[in-house]
Amino acid sequence: MATMAQPVETSRTRHRPAARSGGGGGSEDRVKSILYWLSAFLTLVVFLVPLLWFVMRSLQPGTVIAAPPDPSTFFDLSFDNFRGLRAQGDMFRAVGNSLIVALGTALLTTVLATMAGYGFGRFKFRGSGILFGLILLTLMIPFQAILTPLFIQLNEMRLTDSLLGLVLFYSTVNLAFGTFVMRTAFMSVPDGLEEAARLDGSGTIGTFFHVLFPLVMPGMATTALFAFLAAWTEFLGALVFITRQDLFTLPVALVNLQQGTYGQLDFGLLAAGSVTAMIPCVILFIALQRYYVAGLTAGSLKG
Amino acid sequence: MTLSDTTATTAARTRAATESGIPGRRRNRIFGDEGTLTHPSSHGFLLVLPAAIFVCVFVLAPLVFALYISLTNWPLIGSYKFIGLDNYATIGEDPAFWQAVGYTLTYTAIVTLPILGLGYLMAVVVRANRPGSTLIRTLFFLPYVIGLSTLSFLMVLEAQPNSGAVNLLLKSLGITDGTTAWLVDGPLATGLICALIIWAVSGSTMVLLLSGMQAIPREVYESAEVDGSSWISREWHITIPMLRRPIAMSLILSVIGSFLAFSQFFIMTGGGPGRATTPIVLYIYQRAFVQLQVGAATAASVILIIVVAAISAVQFWLLREED
Repeated sequence: MATMAQPVETSRTRHRPAARSGGGGGSEDRVKSILYWLSAFLTLVVFLVPLLWFVMRSLQPGTVIAAPPDPSTFFDLSFDNFRGLRAQGDMFRAVGNSLIVALGTALLTTVLATMAGYGFGRFKFRGSGILFGLILLTLMIPFQAILTPLFIQLNEMRLTDSLLGLVLFYSTVNLAFGTFVMRTAFMSVPDGLEEAARLDGSGTIGTFFHVLFPLVMPGMATTALFAFLAAWTEFLGALVFITRQDLFTLPVALVNLQQGTYGQLDFGLLAAGSVTAMIPCVILFIALQRYYVAGLTAGSLKG
Repeated sequence: MTLSDTTATTAARTRAATESGIPGRRRNRIFGDEGTLTHPSSHGFLLVLPAAIFVCVFVLAPLVFALYISLTNWPLIGSYKFIGLDNYATIGEDPAFWQAVGYTLTYTAIVTLPILGLGYLMAVVVRANRPGSTLIRTLFFLPYVIGLSTLSFLMVLEAQPNSGAVNLLLKSLGITDGTTAWLVDGPLATGLICALIIWAVSGSTMVLLLSGMQAIPREVYESAEVDGSSWISREWHITIPMLRRPIAMSLILSVIGSFLAFSQFFIMTGGGPGRATTPIVLYIYQRAFVQLQVGAATAASVILIIVVAAISAVQFWLLREED
């Protein structure tokens, strides 16, 4: 597999603790330092402050959000909006639906991708190249462009207005990436390890659970994480394939809230709902960061 | 040939196969002879089968189906009939279609280079692994993780005249009087949405470029320094050429993503006022699910598929080139 640049791996580059690309001499270093800390400060302002602001909005009553800022009421923070969210049956159910769909997608995608990655990565069989190419082909065909036939098809299969249908659809969309990641993971397992297990008599399944699973687990975590995040924030598919109010996922419920389906728009509820959509992504990402970045770099090193 | 001849031939072939010099090779008529005793080729096939089935059912079948539908006058419910290329003529004559195409291209043109540029700068800031780099990298990437739909809802609140953060900020900086209604004016809404996208998506470009940047060995820079070149010149002559492939890939992914933009427009402006902020996917959505003209909408989809597939093909071809 080719890498993007051909790194010249001398011992010097490998052992240097803080490899600074584009390094320079004395005064240039100082200028760079200043620029770095300036950038760091700007980053906090431009990237952290807005997110904190969004969270604060969700703690302001709806009337305060909708009104010009008044210092006396601006910091009247409370969890009322979230209590309102809990009480508002439709919104609360939507959060639950999103959770079910996202977890289901993560699970199904991981299972399918791991199986496929195993098959492509450690077995040889007729047509494996074609089938792998087929799965990668889906990366070239975005679902937005096959929305209408997909809708009719899912309708015929009774998978519209169904959380299961959504899970099946989302899993397929995430399958190409997941399969690619898992195949890479399986291919990097040293042959010797697998052979040892085989010689001990375990079959295909046994070898996976005893030997391969711990080694490809990071790949599985990456796949699951990507699938969860994609399903949690997905909008167009959920909008089109589900029309029953009690099955709405969170983004669709929010747009209905915004458009007044649930009555007069309460900005506070919208803020709380949006922050509820935001927080799991942030927490999951920060906790599993290395898997996410590993997944993206693996994807970019298309071999 | 007699029966005994066929048997003899088969026996001879089997002998030849097992004597092919590869130990433990197991023959399999259906799944191929490459399997071994420990790795039966049938197992490999069965493992990938579920994924392949999903892809066939949910991607390939609709793709073929789309071509068929685009040649009919399929309404969402009810009977339909074959009408040939009429749909393509209809959308070709529909000014709304061309307006959507134009808007999509304009939007793409506005955001593509800033996303690349900002992503590049982000990568430059964090690549040296100074203290706090990981935190900064996380912050750069967080908006992308949060997702465009959620960010769009949050921005609806902040784009409100008189009460939203955008206007508050502009008012306090003295740039405007804080009453701008961003979301009901075409150019203003477009500008705001573009700013939001650039802010949210650049982090993904950063990640694509970062590993490439960190793979460039110090020696290359050091020898350039010795020759007395400035930092800018080093960046231009060393880093960028070596990042050709990640840059190409992030450009293509960014362009495709922009072509397929939907959520932020649906949520923040609904495509309005009128059709002023309607990209092509929103046009397809409205044709199919609001105007109930699935045939025509699918014709537009087919055109979109062809364009995106062509761009993706270019990407795959470009990435093959240096193998």
